[in-house]
Amino acid sequence: MIATLVEGKELLETVVASAVAGVGITFVFSIAIWGVARFADLSRSERPLAAGAAAVVAALALLATAAVVVIGILVMTGK
Amino acid sequence: MSSEIILFIVVGTALAFDFTNGFHDTANVVATSISTGAARPQVAIGMAALLNFAGAFISISVAATVANDVVNADVITPTIVFAGLIGAIAWNLITWSFGLPSSSSHALIGGVVGSAVAAVGFDAVIAEGLVGKVLVPAIVAPILAFGVAGLSIGLIYRVVGKQRPGTVTRGFKYGQIVSGGLLALAHGTNDAQKTMGIITLALIANGSLAAGADPPFWVIASAAAAIALGTYSGGWRIIKTTGTRIIKMDAAQGFSSQGAGSAVILASTHFGFPLSTTHVINGGIMGAGAAKRVSAVRWGVAGNIVTAWLLTLPAAAAIGALTYGLTRIFGTGALGPVVVTLASLSLIVALFARRAERGAPVAASSG
Repeated sequence: MIATLVEGKELLETVVASAVAGVGITFVFSIAIWGVARFADLSRSERPLAAGAAAVVAALALLATAAVVVIGILVMTGK
Repeated sequence: MSSEIILFIVVGTALAFDFTNGFHDTANVVATSISTGAARPQVAIGMAALLNFAGAFISISVAATVANDVVNADVITPTIVFAGLIGAIAWNLITWSFGLPSSSSHALIGGVVGSAVAAVGFDAVIAEGLVGKVLVPAIVAPILAFGVAGLSIGLIYRVVGKQRPGTVTRGFKYGQIVSGGLLALAHGTNDAQKTMGIITLALIANGSLAAGADPPFWVIASAAAAIALGTYSGGWRIIKTTGTRIIKMDAAQGFSSQGAGSAVILASTHFGFPLSTTHVINGGIMGAGAAKRVSAVRWGVAGNIVTAWLLTLPAAAAIGALTYGLTRIFGTGALGPVVVTLASLSLIVALFARRAERGAPVAASSG
């Protein structure tokens, strides 16, 4: 009875989309913070090359975070 | 003339509900940002109000569900909608006075279902819509937010756990400005639409719109403005419960709970599920707390919140049904809604006067 009432496919898609978006944005933003923290540490240790690499990782992860936010809003509200 | 008066009262009451929804749900949006120190209270609330306003214009899927999929629009009258709204507002104010973050959305749907059943019987309810689009998502959403926030915070600690706490905390506080903004936008898209749906339902019931019609622009704009004003007015009592009493949060937990909440609400909005943003964000907060340490969650407070959640639908339905009965004492014209509106306003003024006498309002600095 319940199975016929519940829109299973839409509910499953909601669960998957929420999990992917929620965990995804957290992951890429964590990488950005890791990059910033490593950049600060490596700069203090006077290792400019490694610090530069950490800064690039941080910048890319920040861009990815912004992209996830924008795409998420567009896709999820664009019905 | 009588039907125009009732419709006018319904629209006014719906916008008043929308205001209380924003007022009541401000906590969901800003509490974590304020409690972790990511944003100053007035800045967080101002930003949330603006983004709630913007969010209301993004989608109308949820409004369509509320207007067409929960109760049978063919048998609904504006008076039924009015009684349902009074049920929702009354329950919102009762839970607000106890500082409990219950669901405005479920109060609204419960109130309308209760008054519809009292007026027409169970035929007025669309079981598929109520179960499939409201009740099941109501159970799934907070559990989903709990899981997503828990998984997220585990991931965060794994990635940045060995870095300097100062840098990490600062970073997540900046992140919370974005995640809090996203949550405010999500809240506006889902919650403002419920009022749009209810006003649309009243317009259909009054014959002013065809069945299945989308909300007119003035409905969207006024619902957006009412929820934004309510959000700006804030509800400090609930902010305190959500922000500090469930768990003592760090910035990373605040970020993960807001991120999880935004994702769940936006995904649900896409499919037209009229979700409880309150349930979602509180589920996220509990998940972020429990993943770090199960005992970090104050389960007693969480239990009180869950009790309020469980009571919301039946309590709002009962008040909605009772209100419908009261309006019918005065006949089928506009007198019933007018008398109930005046009585409700008197009760609300008395409630606020009593609180003011006791010095009850919680100051912004204590949030």
